[in-house]
Amino acid sequence: MLGAATKRSATEEGKQAMSDSPVGVTSTDPMTKAVRGAKTIEVRDVDLYYGDFQAVEGVTMTIAPNKVTALIGSSGCGKTTFLRSLNRMHELTPGARVDGHVSLDGEDIYGRGVDPVEVRRLIGMVFQQPNPFPTMSIYDNVAAGLNLNSRRVSQSQKDSVVERSLHGAHLWEEVKDRLQKPGSSLSGGQQQRLCIARAIAVEPEVLLMDEPCSALDPLATLAIEDLIAELKNRYTIVIVTHNMQQAARASDVTAFFNLDATRPGHLVEVGATNEIFTNPSQQQTEDYVSGRFG
Amino acid sequence: MPEIARAGYLEELATLEASALGGLDLVNIALGRTMEAVEHHDVELAQVVIADDDRIDGRYLEVHQGLITLLATQSPVATDLRLISALLHVLKSIERMGDQCVNVCKVIPLTGNHAPVDPRMVELILKMGAHTRTLIVQAKRAFEERDVEMARDLVRRDDSVDQLNRECFHLALEIGDDVDRREWGMTMLLAARAIERIGDNAVDIGEQVAFVVTGLFREFEDASHPG
Repeated sequence: MLGAATKRSATEEGKQAMSDSPVGVTSTDPMTKAVRGAKTIEVRDVDLYYGDFQAVEGVTMTIAPNKVTALIGSSGCGKTTFLRSLNRMHELTPGARVDGHVSLDGEDIYGRGVDPVEVRRLIGMVFQQPNPFPTMSIYDNVAAGLNLNSRRVSQSQKDSVVERSLHGAHLWEEVKDRLQKPGSSLSGGQQQRLCIARAIAVEPEVLLMDEPCSALDPLATLAIEDLIAELKNRYTIVIVTHNMQQAARASDVTAFFNLDATRPGHLVEVGATNEIFTNPSQQQTEDYVSGRFG
Repeated sequence: MPEIARAGYLEELATLEASALGGLDLVNIALGRTMEAVEHHDVELAQVVIADDDRIDGRYLEVHQGLITLLATQSPVATDLRLISALLHVLKSIERMGDQCVNVCKVIPLTGNHAPVDPRMVELILKMGAHTRTLIVQAKRAFEERDVEMARDLVRRDDSVDQLNRECFHLALEIGDDVDRREWGMTMLLAARAIERIGDNAVDIGEQVAFVVTGLFREFEDASHPG
């Protein structure tokens, strides 16, 4: 499943990693994969470092398929760093290091010979700021992942994937008559949905979202949340958010990270979202979700 | 540890809790006057209780509005959310307790100026009233102190009120064939039933204490499936 690493330049790998859903050598055919099976991520004893600085300590948790898992916690607690470790983006930062185990349906994503680019195709990422390729059309933005694919894709297949992805991102009806307009001509909320369309065009198993609504107005935020609720039927979703109400509304499972003077960022508690927001088991969680922290 | 935030919100929540629980003091006063009205067949005092119920209803509306505003503006969660949910229930119980006092006071004039009083029945009702007033005080204290054991103890104390109510029932059955006496007995039975319900409302408040503390709602006693 996780393709073996192939020789590629650091530039190429970096360029692909910086896109929403970098495309490696696909092991499945995105055009024919009709029935999806979202995957489970198992995280065991994960420590994350930037050089000598330990950002995250000892995280062990299971991220369930077809669920939205929200990562919450104050700034600097390591939740985004942790998120980036789930698709091997953390290691792109110079000096960054990962200890521990992360597996996708039992396959170690940090295993020897595993292609990190293929990992990032299977585990896509949507970022805080909508980042469509500014010079590309709406169509080409969605097709970007396929274009980077080493395999040849026919125009009709490409059309089909673009339409399906834009439908999947709840954007098709709004852009179907202007697919050749620049992606940057869309509103912020539409741009974010375009980025989601780009991420799902390459048929990932997991979608990671790093504060995907923080730059959006309330209506655009609700549109993304509705989309997330639908996407979880097909994908495993992990979302980092600072918005407590968004975590409460949009997620099934919530994981609370914290840090203090004596410990790096660590997982305090993970549980069903309704439990975390009505009756958390840890006082730290209670204080955080209640806004008791200054 | 980071400093405590949202001081204004927390102060407002604490104020609303104190105001809601203060409604139990109003009920306690109303029930005390109700018992006095029953004991002395004091129709004027009964009218005062009926008129004063507006204060309890006003407290209900005022605190209810405050809690709704907090829900709308502060997005309370966890213990705060449970507390607000519990206070909404407590308010409803308090409002019902006030109404039960009114129900008792409304029947006092119906017994006429020279009611064929059976002192045994009056004594039982006064006992019920006294027991129920202690239940009200205990329910308030249990809530303030988040004391689940004290809240559970309300069930035990309420059993004695229920027992007195049953004694009232038997006394009414034995009150004789005289129509006026029977009518008086039935009317007093309505009063006893109303007081018994106030005791049940106090137990309901106790159940909310357990919910605030544990996050789990369980009836202390299942009336539809008694153990």
